[in-house]
Amino acid sequence: MTREDDRTLSEALVAARDAGRQCVLATIVSTKGSTPRKVGARMLVDPDRGLVGTVGGGCGEAEVIESAHRVLETGVPERVRVDLTDDLLSWSPAVCGGIMDIFVEPVAPHDGS
Amino acid sequence: MTLSAADVAELLLGTTEAGGSAAAVVVVGGAREGLPGRRMALTVPPGAASPQAHGGLGSDSLDAAATAEMMEALSDVRSHDGLRQIEVDGEQMELYLEVRWPVQELVVVGAGHVAQPMAHVGALLGFKVTVIDDRPDFATRERFPDADRLIRADFSDPFADVPLHVRSHILLVTRGHKYDYECLIRALRMDPPPAYIGMIGSRRRVRATYVQLVEEGIDRALIDRIHAPVGLDIGSETPEEIAVSVAAELVMLRRGGTGVPLKDRERVAERFFTQTGGQ
Repeated sequence: MTREDDRTLSEALVAARDAGRQCVLATIVSTKGSTPRKVGARMLVDPDRGLVGTVGGGCGEAEVIESAHRVLETGVPERVRVDLTDDLLSWSPAVCGGIMDIFVEPVAPHDGS
Repeated sequence: MTLSAADVAELLLGTTEAGGSAAAVVVVGGAREGLPGRRMALTVPPGAASPQAHGGLGSDSLDAAATAEMMEALSDVRSHDGLRQIEVDGEQMELYLEVRWPVQELVVVGAGHVAQPMAHVGALLGFKVTVIDDRPDFATRERFPDADRLIRADFSDPFADVPLHVRSHILLVTRGHKYDYECLIRALRMDPPPAYIGMIGSRRRVRATYVQLVEEGIDRALIDRIHAPVGLDIGSETPEEIAVSVAAELVMLRRGGTGVPLKDRERVAERFFTQTGGQ
């Protein structure tokens, strides 16, 4: 993640906190094999503003967004494993060849506001 | 006080922009209910003797184990973000650790043709870019829209207003051999040494500089630290191409690459045809 990406995401996080908006942060915490983004890549799911950053584009991001919706409901963090090792010839978007673990967590404390 | 992801992001950004280092952990697995998502951070402002702790994971023994992991990460610049396993009171737990260093700086000395695309691509790569020239009309905002700092300084003492540190990357591209040499001597004598010293010039010009350095009594070990001629061999000719070549070298050093084309390194086609017997 470049300094600009990192800064953009950090600023979006801080802005959401200051505005009291409940958001969800997804962070790639480990990867195996070839994945589009590496450890440390982050995505902020802000229900009012949409997505900031990416954890892999088409490759598995849908699963993460699904988890983000649950986390928004429950306020309980989740660990999502995204498997991108589908058969190369299947033309599925998940053929990058790797597996990544993503930590999905609420940004403001759920019981906070 | 519970530290949120936003609080930590703010702490890390603020500390590193100010020239300090920081580390943070968040509990991400293997823990009892309520612990995942808890955070702790250590910040080391520039010049500070000891780190400052923020937040906590829920118990003193957990905080101590997390602090040990963060201190270890902060003690080695090669540390990477990632998972760390800890065991506290017989309980296994997984932390995700982030470590942040002072923002990397690119100091371009000389504000001519090469400096312009260099400042641009440097900013693109996340460097905090400073451009120095002795002429008032060169290090200007119009010519360097994405530089962080523009400084007019005499080349006999170019770094007087630029605090340099171990994450400074100095690129010497002044209009004259003599100026590059003066700045080079200053850069070489810096303690601790900067991360990178690059100097533009042909083989002949670089050689002439080294002759002078040896006469000045500069050690061979110090001379070996100079990247000159600058950049990777991609056949650059134009200022833009030279900037890309230097940028490639900076990325290579940052990430520990080899500079070899990936095609030659991975040999996918060669291996494929060997395996399949050319079918």
